[in-house]
Amino acid sequence: MTYVVGENCIKCKHTDCIEVCPVNCFYEGPNTLVIHPDECIDCALCVPKCPVNAIYAEADLPEDQAAFLELNAELAQVWPNITDRKEPLPEAEQWNGVPNKLQYLVR
Amino acid sequence: MGTAFMSMEKYQPTPRAQAFLESVRNGKYKREIITGLGKFIDGKVPEDMQTLYTPEQLKDLLALRGTERDVEARMPVKITRHYFELAKHSKALQTLVRADPKETADMGGAADPGKQMSYSPVEGLIHKYELGLIYVASTCSAHCRFCYREELIAQKEVERPDGTFAPKGLAVITDIVAYIKQHNAEVASNGGRHPRTGREKLREILMSGGDPMVLANKNLAEWWSALADTGIDSIRIGTKEAAFYPERFDETFFEMLDNFHAAYPGTRLRFMVHFNHPDEFLKKDERGMYIDDPQGGLEWIPATKRAIEGFGQRSWLTVDNQAPIINGINDDADALRIMQREMRRNRVENHYFFCGRDIIGHKAFNVPIERVWQLLNESQKGLSGVEAHARLSITHYKGKTEVAAVSNKPLAGIPGTENGFVVLKLMRGAEDAKDRGKVTIVGRNPEAIWFNDYDDRVIYDEAGLFADVKQVKSPEPAAANSTLLQRKA
Repeated sequence: MTYVVGENCIKCKHTDCIEVCPVNCFYEGPNTLVIHPDECIDCALCVPKCPVNAIYAEADLPEDQAAFLELNAELAQVWPNITDRKEPLPEAEQWNGVPNKLQYLVR
Repeated sequence: MGTAFMSMEKYQPTPRAQAFLESVRNGKYKREIITGLGKFIDGKVPEDMQTLYTPEQLKDLLALRGTERDVEARMPVKITRHYFELAKHSKALQTLVRADPKETADMGGAADPGKQMSYSPVEGLIHKYELGLIYVASTCSAHCRFCYREELIAQKEVERPDGTFAPKGLAVITDIVAYIKQHNAEVASNGGRHPRTGREKLREILMSGGDPMVLANKNLAEWWSALADTGIDSIRIGTKEAAFYPERFDETFFEMLDNFHAAYPGTRLRFMVHFNHPDEFLKKDERGMYIDDPQGGLEWIPATKRAIEGFGQRSWLTVDNQAPIINGINDDADALRIMQREMRRNRVENHYFFCGRDIIGHKAFNVPIERVWQLLNESQKGLSGVEAHARLSITHYKGKTEVAAVSNKPLAGIPGTENGFVVLKLMRGAEDAKDRGKVTIVGRNPEAIWFNDYDDRVIYDEAGLFADVKQVKSPEPAAANSTLLQRKA
């Protein structure tokens, strides 16, 4: 079990979650965040903090976002750890809720 | 959560703390946690773990979902692979982690046991005595069904002294440091006592939760150095991780301990571990029997042994075990005797055993108070004096109270003691120490699982444990009784 950053983080990257994670298990890519599944302790604190509701418990991950489970695990291995909150991406507002953002994911 | 001390400033380590923090490495852990009944219901757990629940049990639990009796709303379900492996061969451990419909059969109990919110001046801090308790995590690697912090773990709305409702929040370093500094400055400028509360300086902080050991080394290190820099002279860590995931106490962890001690040699670390049953740390043979260690004592599970030995090798820290005695888990004098013996052999002090608290649903877990006393007393009959240090404690909102004695004999001439009596002794007043050592005597009630079950049979109440109960007997005869008791003793 782990929590998973889903599609709606892409091009938004608000980072409110970083501040509440007790184990600093978020990793940062150019335009999204991911959670390291082996480090996440399932505390769920990040879920209500995300202004765009992008974080899911593994069991609640919508079917059309199933790929994000594997994606989080993979990218957490290569991206740097992020421990400080920062400004969201400049066009975060416009991209919130836009469907099919996976194609814009920058690795 | 608009408390006066709420700040969003980032913690700025001192140069000494910074040097220590730079030496700390985070370890990598594979707890293989299963969270939630859903995984069991949907058959999404590894095949062997599916055996933790029978299909009938899952059906019964599923039927409660979304109702007032939902067991997961009371307390989330969580287990590690390590604990599952142990539980496979232990009924006691299965009972500890397996959700059961009986938990919500009677939802009586306190939403905030111990009235903690009335002792919380800053979010995430409970200030009692000269000790402050901080919540640093709202989860553990696995969850005990009987957890007395179910309100924190399940993030329930708890009433505050101002009448508002909100989940209990976690402590933030900058807020806690600011509070300790201000409190201790006020105490110092008032000759050693706080001008409003009469409390002494805060010199000890207990890190709790949840389990602080779910935090990464770097998070722990930040807390420890910040507290040490504030002048806290001992830091307690309350953890069940040695039972749930002993591999957490790895090389990187002990390296951090040593570096902390080198940087802050005057600050003591006190680990409060939580073993309920010897099945949590002893190896068993095929017949389910513990195995004699040719070196003496009994053979331990290697990972747990490594963790406890790692602590034992460091003379500047202490390890104490404390655990509640819970129905179907460790209400067993033989198990308790073996546990106390093995703890002490391995440099773990036996600190407290507890009667279950009056949490929501406590009737499913609590063993009657007098029965717990008898079990512990029975278990200590086979122990040497140094192995039998543990006392039985029951947590009154006024403070920790020892169940000091239970007698079957009536006290001649004293009504209400026909079936014997119970002696309770206040070990610590939550406000300050002035009531320490005061006693309360009640007539026996073998069914009693909480203080209110004695409301109608209070004989003598020097400690004031029943001061809120209206029908308490008038003080004059009680005082006379007390003289009589002293003479008899």
